[in-house]
Amino acid sequence: MTEQSRIDIQNVTKLYGKVPAVNNVSLTIDGGAYCCMIGPSGCGKTTLLRMIAGHESPTSGKIQIGNEDVTDKRTGSRGTALMFQNYALFPHLSLTDNVAFSLKVKGETAQARREKARTMLDRVQLLHLADRMPSELSGGQQQRVALARALITNPKVLLLDEPLSALDEFLRLRMRVELKRLQSELGITFVHVTHTQPEAIALADQVVVMDHGVVEQAAGPREIYSKPYSPYVARFMGGQNVLSGLVDGTGAGGTTVRTPDGMLHDLQVVPDAKVGAPVNFSVRRDHIRLVDEAGQRNGTRGKVVNVEYQGTYVKVALDTGSRDEFIVYLDEDDFYSATRAVGDMINAAWEPRFNHLLVGTNNSTGNPHEE
Amino acid sequence: MAQISNAKRGPAFYFLAAFFTLFVIFLYGPMLVIFLLSFQGSTGGLTFPMRGISTHWFNDLWTSSRYGDLGGAFRRSLVLGCLSMLITAIVCLFAGLAFRRRFWGSGPIFYLAIGSLVVPGILLGLGISQFFQLLGFKLNWWLSGLGAHLSWTMPFGLLIMFAVLNRFDASWEEAARDAGARSWQVLAYVTVPILFPGLIAVALFGFTLSYDEMPRSLLTVGGKNTLPIEISNMTTNVTTPALYAIGTLTSVVSFVVIALAFLAIAVIQKRRARARSGS
Amino acid sequence: MSDRSSAPGRLLTPYLQVAPLAFLMITMVGIPLLTVVLLSFWEFDGIAVYPAFTFDNYAEVLQSPVTLKLFLATLKYALITLVATVIIGFTCSYFLVFYVRDLRIQIALFLLCTIPFWTSNVIRMVSWIPFLGREGLFNSALIELGIIDHPLDILLYSDFAVVLTYIHLFTLFMIVPIFNSMAKINPNLIEAARDAGASPFQILRDIIIPLSKTGIALGSIFVVTLVMGDFFVVRVMSGGQSASVVSAMKNNIDQLYYPVASAMAVLLVIVVLLMVTAILRVVDIRSELAR
Repeated sequence: MTEQSRIDIQNVTKLYGKVPAVNNVSLTIDGGAYCCMIGPSGCGKTTLLRMIAGHESPTSGKIQIGNEDVTDKRTGSRGTALMFQNYALFPHLSLTDNVAFSLKVKGETAQARREKARTMLDRVQLLHLADRMPSELSGGQQQRVALARALITNPKVLLLDEPLSALDEFLRLRMRVELKRLQSELGITFVHVTHTQPEAIALADQVVVMDHGVVEQAAGPREIYSKPYSPYVARFMGGQNVLSGLVDGTGAGGTTVRTPDGMLHDLQVVPDAKVGAPVNFSVRRDHIRLVDEAGQRNGTRGKVVNVEYQGTYVKVALDTGSRDEFIVYLDEDDFYSATRAVGDMINAAWEPRFNHLLVGTNNSTGNPHEE
Repeated sequence: MAQISNAKRGPAFYFLAAFFTLFVIFLYGPMLVIFLLSFQGSTGGLTFPMRGISTHWFNDLWTSSRYGDLGGAFRRSLVLGCLSMLITAIVCLFAGLAFRRRFWGSGPIFYLAIGSLVVPGILLGLGISQFFQLLGFKLNWWLSGLGAHLSWTMPFGLLIMFAVLNRFDASWEEAARDAGARSWQVLAYVTVPILFPGLIAVALFGFTLSYDEMPRSLLTVGGKNTLPIEISNMTTNVTTPALYAIGTLTSVVSFVVIALAFLAIAVIQKRRARARSGS
Repeated sequence: MSDRSSAPGRLLTPYLQVAPLAFLMITMVGIPLLTVVLLSFWEFDGIAVYPAFTFDNYAEVLQSPVTLKLFLATLKYALITLVATVIIGFTCSYFLVFYVRDLRIQIALFLLCTIPFWTSNVIRMVSWIPFLGREGLFNSALIELGIIDHPLDILLYSDFAVVLTYIHLFTLFMIVPIFNSMAKINPNLIEAARDAGASPFQILRDIIIPLSKTGIALGSIFVVTLVMGDFFVVRVMSGGQSASVVSAMKNNIDQLYYPVASAMAVLLVIVVLLMVTAILRVVDIRSELAR
């Protein structure tokens, strides 16, 4: 089953007029994996999803599902099923008939297909509403019907277009668990488009970060979170402070980088590093401590501009003079052990092993309105 | 809907309500009066007082030869109405679907449709009749007449389809295709059923506009008249309440058709909405 | 972004779908209109119509003093009707949209106004006769109330009767677009204005009227073209005393003077188009009409 539901995207480009919504993307999604595609509005993730589904066709390139070239196959015959963002439940049909629709289209008799539809509705715990109309349901219920409608076709790949965006916070977290459970139960490939970072790293086996039609990084959630490829990925996924400076010295043990505030930072060996070359690197926000004494290496100094209590940690924002805000996630006890208020100048420090080199050059903020 | 003031119904409300009521009376009053007068006694005239109540004038329509071929005209108007209804509904359904996207020629066709509404009917009737005759065709109620009627009903049908399709979510069709439906299945199982109330509205316009149409018909029906033409002839040379009688009869037909259309739409809406309280 | 679907093989579809409408519009509207324009340049020698290219017909129409009188008379009807229908239509729509609380009742009352549209205009016109005649209801009522001694003759077979009938028939064409425009006004605007302390009159003047301009313009176009294009109401309800451009046209048609009638028709259409353009100058409704 896993080989059959593997997706190979080869050099796929989608042009709208002159604008490449998807720009020469090559990507492999393993069969049976949960893949989340994430990025800001307009990055191409939805277009790519729709091309896998067959609702858009690539301007160039090839898409394979299993080992079958589906690039020119019409939607509905590729073994994919799409769950729409607004659910798109047929307003004129009951839940049963909504779910049974794909079977009706194939020519199954009314009795047989209604039977199967009811079984499916039972699986999503909606059998008691089987004869209702979609307008009578809540958002969460409509979503489950949409899911049932998609899964009844036994797809190899389930595609979800921002499935959780329309739900309130509580429901969203619950449905997240449901989706993960469903995916592992069914064993098929899920491709889930979202713009919510915690959702992506919670659900996915593979996170695909996109920007302006290009895949910036595709890797497991831990790697995306701890070892982002470029400043853009680091900023977009959150949890990282992006720093930039110039190479100060190179050696067998590592490379030293000097940031504009004069601080030196010890990085791993940067290949082909020349003194004076610009370097971007990141530090995870939860690996930083606040210290009383200013250090000379692997640290920074700034004025507290914002403090946010988040329950399990405290988010402290510092103005260090650079373009990006410098944010530290502190343990609750650590923070409240000393009085630190907005306006105080404080020092931060971290261990050198947490300096992560950012190889990629995409330096945008990930917020489309700031471009 | 936004309310102008939250306070209890003030003087503005009563004034406006009175105005509106007067307007409704203004709209319906005259029609109700001639319904009454169509039951005028056999010695009565075109106005009050009523000299007895009878169906004399209805009988007169049937029996007298003064009124032209009313039966035939009625039949022809009904047939034209049904034909216009069906053709308008089908053609405007597909045309409306086409207009969802820009295509070459969409502008001119749209302006032709609007033009047909704006230009005097008799002008178009002249054009159609001359065009047919220049080509050597005879004028017939079921050909040139039908064409003239369609030139009147189609623009209305198109505009209604625009309004209805504005609220139609294309993702329903996509979801159907995603489920494996072919184009005809999307149309038959999803698009048309969802649009059906709108189609009934188009059909209503298609029938009534054709059934009552007079200016365009005048020059294009050829030898045999439609009912509106007969009635308009009667206005100038009939001085008895028989005129009101035919008015009542034809209005009854219109009202029956309107009622059927409203009923059909109401039934469909009810079935689809069911419990409004939930959503 | 589902309307960006460009799945293969769907490019031909709109053309196939619109073909029947296109065919009917071209053959039943486009070509007939061209035929009329063509005819306006032909000759009539008293017996038959001959293809030609002459401006004689236009000369005849433009040089006749009757033409100007007819146009002015028709314009007079159009403008009076326009003013009356705007006032009545606006007031009724205003009442329905902003003073009727229940949406269902709003729609029911709106439909109540539209139902007569689906009945015969000829009958609706005729139904005024028992009201307006010398022995009609109005006169009888007024005499009985002692307001007048003798029946008013001007009620029927007069300009008054013509305009009254126009208002009766065409106010609906003003109500529908204005109702539509008003219904689209965001209720939050009204609430914000109320919060800021605006009186109902100020809300009407500063928010509702400006935002209903599109509807008023659309309705005006309908009313003007309908009145300018009428030949039947004016003839019957004026008792043959008045005429309009189109009724004169019909006279010509009845006598087989097709070229002259066509020339008049072309002139009328030009005048109407100018009026429509003037209305469109004031308000840009192309976006509303053209989706």
